Amino acid sequence: MSRGTVQNRTSFLNNIAEKMGRARVDHVERPVYKHRPQWEVYADATADELLDVFKEQCQHIHTDVIEVEKSGVARAVAETFGRYQAESYLMWDDPRLKDVGLDDRFQEQMKQLDVDTFIWNPVSDDNIRVAEQATVGITYSDMTLAESGTVVLFSSSEKGRAVSLLPETYIAIIPKSSLVPRMTQATYEIHQRVENGERLPSCINFISGPSNSADIEMSLVVGVHGPVKATYIVFDDE
Amino acid sequence: MNVSLFITCLGDHFYPNAGRATVELLERFDCDVDFPATQTCCGQPAFNSGYHKDAKKAAKQTITAFQESEYVVTPSGSCAAMLHEYSHLLSDDKEWEQKAEALAEKTFEVTEFLVNVLGVEDTGARFQGTATYHTSCHMTRLLGVKDAPMKLLENVKGLEMIDLPNKHDCCGFGGTFAVKMPQISTEMVQEKADCVRETNADILIGADAGCLMNIGGKLSREKSGVRVMHITEVLNHQ
Amino acid sequence: MPLRVGSDAFAERVDTGLEDAFMRGAVRSAQERLRERKHTSSEQLGDWEAWRDHGEEIRTHTLNHLDYYLEQLSDNIAEMGGHVFFAETAEEANAYVREVARKKEAKKIVKSKSMVTEEISLNEVLEADGREVIETDLGEYILQIDDHDPPSHIVAPALHKNRSQIRDVFTERKGYSKTDDPDELTRFAREQLRQEFLDADLGITGCNFAVAESGSISLVTNEGNARLVSALPKTQVTVMGMERIVPTWEELDVLVSLLCRSAVGQKLTSYITGLTGPKTEGEVDGPEEFHLVIVDNGRSKILGTQFQSALHCIRCAACVNVCPVYRHVGGHAYGSIYNGPIGAVLTPLLDGYENNKDLPYASSLCAACTEACPVKIPLHEHLIAHRQIITEKEKLGSMPERWSMRLFGTGVSRSKLYRLASKNAHLALKPWTKGDRISSGPSLIKEWTRSRDLPAPSRDRFRDWWMRRGKGEGQDE
Repeated sequence: MSRGTVQNRTSFLNNIAEKMGRARVDHVERPVYKHRPQWEVYADATADELLDVFKEQCQHIHTDVIEVEKSGVARAVAETFGRYQAESYLMWDDPRLKDVGLDDRFQEQMKQLDVDTFIWNPVSDDNIRVAEQATVGITYSDMTLAESGTVVLFSSSEKGRAVSLLPETYIAIIPKSSLVPRMTQATYEIHQRVENGERLPSCINFISGPSNSADIEMSLVVGVHGPVKATYIVFDDE
Repeated sequence: MNVSLFITCLGDHFYPNAGRATVELLERFDCDVDFPATQTCCGQPAFNSGYHKDAKKAAKQTITAFQESEYVVTPSGSCAAMLHEYSHLLSDDKEWEQKAEALAEKTFEVTEFLVNVLGVEDTGARFQGTATYHTSCHMTRLLGVKDAPMKLLENVKGLEMIDLPNKHDCCGFGGTFAVKMPQISTEMVQEKADCVRETNADILIGADAGCLMNIGGKLSREKSGVRVMHITEVLNHQ
Repeated sequence: MPLRVGSDAFAERVDTGLEDAFMRGAVRSAQERLRERKHTSSEQLGDWEAWRDHGEEIRTHTLNHLDYYLEQLSDNIAEMGGHVFFAETAEEANAYVREVARKKEAKKIVKSKSMVTEEISLNEVLEADGREVIETDLGEYILQIDDHDPPSHIVAPALHKNRSQIRDVFTERKGYSKTDDPDELTRFAREQLRQEFLDADLGITGCNFAVAESGSISLVTNEGNARLVSALPKTQVTVMGMERIVPTWEELDVLVSLLCRSAVGQKLTSYITGLTGPKTEGEVDGPEEFHLVIVDNGRSKILGTQFQSALHCIRCAACVNVCPVYRHVGGHAYGSIYNGPIGAVLTPLLDGYENNKDLPYASSLCAACTEACPVKIPLHEHLIAHRQIITEKEKLGSMPERWSMRLFGTGVSRSKLYRLASKNAHLALKPWTKGDRISSGPSLIKEWTRSRDLPAPSRDRFRDWWMRRGKGEGQDE
């Protein structure tokens, strides 16, 4: 990767320092903040309590939650296909999805039911067209936020952004162990990655239910440019 | 306890009864009340309009008038808040800034003084009727006095308090705002008067002469029959 | 669309607003709904005041070290192969984006919501260069196809329009043939825009907060259009006001939490998207080329002044949503794309006092805005500070007002004079007094008595009573 360009910077930043009445500085220490209320939210909640918070919040964001054992994930997905009248689905090329039963056998079963399977394919040019036409997109949740009913997705070549975006409906597969109280825990982990010198994924999405808008008379419409419906399938992995 | 009364210009001229009631209330709770003759206006009309040079003159006059006082008590949340503002207004002059800080420390709005300094929550008042209370913006938001008036009113025998809808909204007085932006001010006071009438209360109680002039003026124009009273008049009623 | 919109004088714009019954009804119900939702969602955070304090300390620290964090941000982006352009003026920013669009031979450009691109009139520049620019936020889309009607609210730009007006716009401009049901209207917009996303050569986004430590930008949205704009076109240009930055992802959490609650009463919006550089090796979606344009356009003039905290604004519109003045006059009355209390504070700072001298007076100083602000900007104090500059420095106050204030200053600082005037107040107003009230008064009182009565000054003032009581102080001389 060649380095990008930075233009006009010196005069721009010098002007800022001048307006602040000081010289430019080489180093700034982040302050020890006086307030840290974000760490107190659901600080002592157990995994079950977090799940309750999560399910309650999902009612507010028009998202169905299905709780299953690990062995029941594939069946729950198939049932959701039924509700969404799925003709095809697209999912990440993710071993974790295979591990919960969305494997070759599942794909075979879906074929019998006339539901086409598409797997995100880093070496194909066809992903976007497929994503645009698939009825359902399926991803795994990298982290899950109880307070806001949010799944956190880290993009990669096998984990395309479009899977959770272009299909008309969306399913997230959520291991119960991925539940944390709120965004605080997720951003802390991301911050740790940066501190460790890792390059972050090019896209990190915090997704809380289907897309929506209240731009017309402040009246809520669910389903705008992103998915119109969303289902979270939470499985017990402990 | 020695208390100096700051009557305020509106109180002196438009609500003299509130001043009398304040004196009688304070005396009932063993305060020795005096009235420094050189007091004028707190300077808020000039300050809020941006004429800070003129506001400073008023500030210095007020500071000097109450220099010897042990406590300064005023039947106006808005003017009390203005007295608390002096130290910022005069911050370019250390000597006056210090004097202003000293004034702020000993200055109280009357209900705040009764509840928080004298520890009085029941003034022994009786008043037969239904009333609603207007929370003035400067008293609640700038001075931070939120609970004292209701604590006192709840203990008035015979008085039934009815919650005022949208009480958080400004009545549209805003000092010079009422004459500088008369149309907008009119819409705001109309809304407030409508809310007052919606309660079917006989009386509108307030703790700031400005708001009472404004809402009362609207209710009077509409021949609503709603009586407007300063809170001290109610608390002093037998 | 430039910062300033419309050419009418402030008073005329206010009249237009006051006469627009639909707009006022829409604003009122929106304010009520949002107030309720914000209240509920803020309570659930625990100690809301501690959150606000934290928001304030984060913004204060960041703005105090803005040059450092912008340098870190730009280094990190360049490291990943992205391009950063620092634009001191709107013209520089627009010229840069125009050049990127030319190089990419971009015919079709899709845009997600961005206030700063409105402020610098980027669309006009690109359109003049022969490119098609499509706003994809539903509200912005409606305004764009309705002959570029200006936004009236920072978060909900088409708040002033009702559903039947929107249906008519869709029908006339886009051949829509269904009802005015918001679901159907939205569905139509989705269908209209989907192909545009797929065909676009260039995507332009705003930026809610950039994250210095990782060279990321974040987008806080509900509709999903910003995700499409940043995932599908081969080139992405993000335009940010220079103050929209946080040091690390930890601060991002706090500000995003405050923003979502304050803006729309949601815990998080449907999508919080963190974008870090162009797509990486092997990735299919995401832009091949990423440009960040960091815009000053007058902001640096605010740094180091008493107004610096105005730059703490996170554009949540919480102040707009509680403002009673905004409720009655609507967003267009402010004549600026930044409206409500924050608009009245920011517009004169960015655009000067000359054309905006009425804005700081469009407030009763009730301080509901200050109380609502999630990062504790003392908005009403800034309005007073503006008024001071307008009257004492710019000398833009009217002559009668200046004289009456001078008279006031003299009167209140000489107690004898004050007492003389005080004693005679009821006499001066006697000709207009009927009983205990004045229903039609002279000069300034006339404005008051147009819609309400004024109690007549009492002949028996407090002072008179006090004197009779025999304590001997406060008497007239």
